[in-house]
Amino acid sequence: MYRKQVRRRRAVLALLVVGSFVLLTITYGQGSNGLQRGLSTIFSPVQGIADRALKPARDLVDWFDKTFDARGENSRLKSELAKVREKSVAGQEAMQENAQLRKLVKLDRDPVLAASAYQPVTARVIARSPTVWRSSVNIDVGSGGGVHVDDPVISGDGLVGRIASVEPNSAQVMLLTDHESAVTAKVVPAGAQGVVKPEVGNPEHLILDFIDSTKLVHGGQTVVTAGWRTQGYASLFPPGLPLGEVTKASIVDQEAKEQADVRPFADIANLDLVQVLTGGSRG
Amino acid sequence: MILTPKIVIRIALIGLLGVLLQLSFFSQVELFHVSPDILPALVVCLALLGGSLTGAVAGFSIGLFLDCLLVEALGVSSLVLLGVGYVAGLYRERFEIDNTLTPALLCMGLTLAAELGFGAIQLLIGIDAPVSLLIVRDLLLKSVYAFFLGWPIYVRRVLRPALVEEPKLRRRRQPRAMGV
Repeated sequence: MYRKQVRRRRAVLALLVVGSFVLLTITYGQGSNGLQRGLSTIFSPVQGIADRALKPARDLVDWFDKTFDARGENSRLKSELAKVREKSVAGQEAMQENAQLRKLVKLDRDPVLAASAYQPVTARVIARSPTVWRSSVNIDVGSGGGVHVDDPVISGDGLVGRIASVEPNSAQVMLLTDHESAVTAKVVPAGAQGVVKPEVGNPEHLILDFIDSTKLVHGGQTVVTAGWRTQGYASLFPPGLPLGEVTKASIVDQEAKEQADVRPFADIANLDLVQVLTGGSRG
Repeated sequence: MILTPKIVIRIALIGLLGVLLQLSFFSQVELFHVSPDILPALVVCLALLGGSLTGAVAGFSIGLFLDCLLVEALGVSSLVLLGVGYVAGLYRERFEIDNTLTPALLCMGLTLAAELGFGAIQLLIGIDAPVSLLIVRDLLLKSVYAFFLGWPIYVRRVLRPALVEEPKLRRRRQPRAMGV
């Protein structure tokens, strides 16, 4: 009797393990399937309600977390404020000049979005992957809201990622910090171009890889999407979307590794509301 | 735990609620920059109450449901969580749980094992980016959180009343002396 039970237990275990491998083999890299679409359609409204209902509790936990962080952040922000003040003076002059030039060439619209005719769709984050190895969030807007695969996703601070898969009422966003993410970017005003890749497990660090070692990049410079277009191919992201700030780029590092460290502008670990840039022309 | 249809439905509901709570709450809060992961701890507690088979099936189902809602490749979470459930259930079948710390420590250890399992599968599938050392901190903190999550789930017996139908004790009348 006991042996029969053990045999049955082992058979079920083997079946489940084989089942998992079969599922993994069939579904890996295939996007969403019927089961996922069905469950997502049923549960995305429930997740939306749960997300809103649990927001006060989340805010309470965040308050505790941020209180611990506040002391260190205060001194960092003071030094950043000083730098920003210096930049803002130069920025105001540049904006005045920019406005005059735009009027001259009749391009007095939003520099990034209007030029590419994107329609921003606002969405709320309703789910986030629990493991440290994946970096994706689910949002409460899907194909019904005009969202398509590969649409860029931004927050108030900058680029967040792109749409990886779409369901009728929800969509999955592959974040910049996902190991499969890669965004062509350029450093302004240095002009060096490269590819922004993540460092898995660290949402506050991106790597600007494959940069031209002849163009000097230094800390404090801004990294934006490059947005390229060539013979039928185009970047998934429009040019000029803010990505982050170069934190470390020594000449030695740049020449040896052709890399620079970048801190993303968007708080990727704490996303609540995002915008999906639907439609528009890529690159 | 005897698996009656009522108990199976309750396990399914607990799994469903656990996944929804994880996605809508625990994954979206951070303590010291790390989000707690309640699911391995939940599977461990189910396995400690129901044994290896219940643990494995519950882990597989919860993992499958999680992957479906996250629109990830199916099978990754199922494989990891079924392993967690099976090991926890085996522990319950082979050893006496006489210490109140044991379930919480199992939650902690098996959450670490689950995260390493996820990492191993991701590495097998292929990671196209460098991995930060910060991930070690994240894994350790997740395990510590699992210790504190496992404590109320099992030790304070949050799940036990829902999953174990304990026979109601009949009140016996006090024997009375003859003629009173």
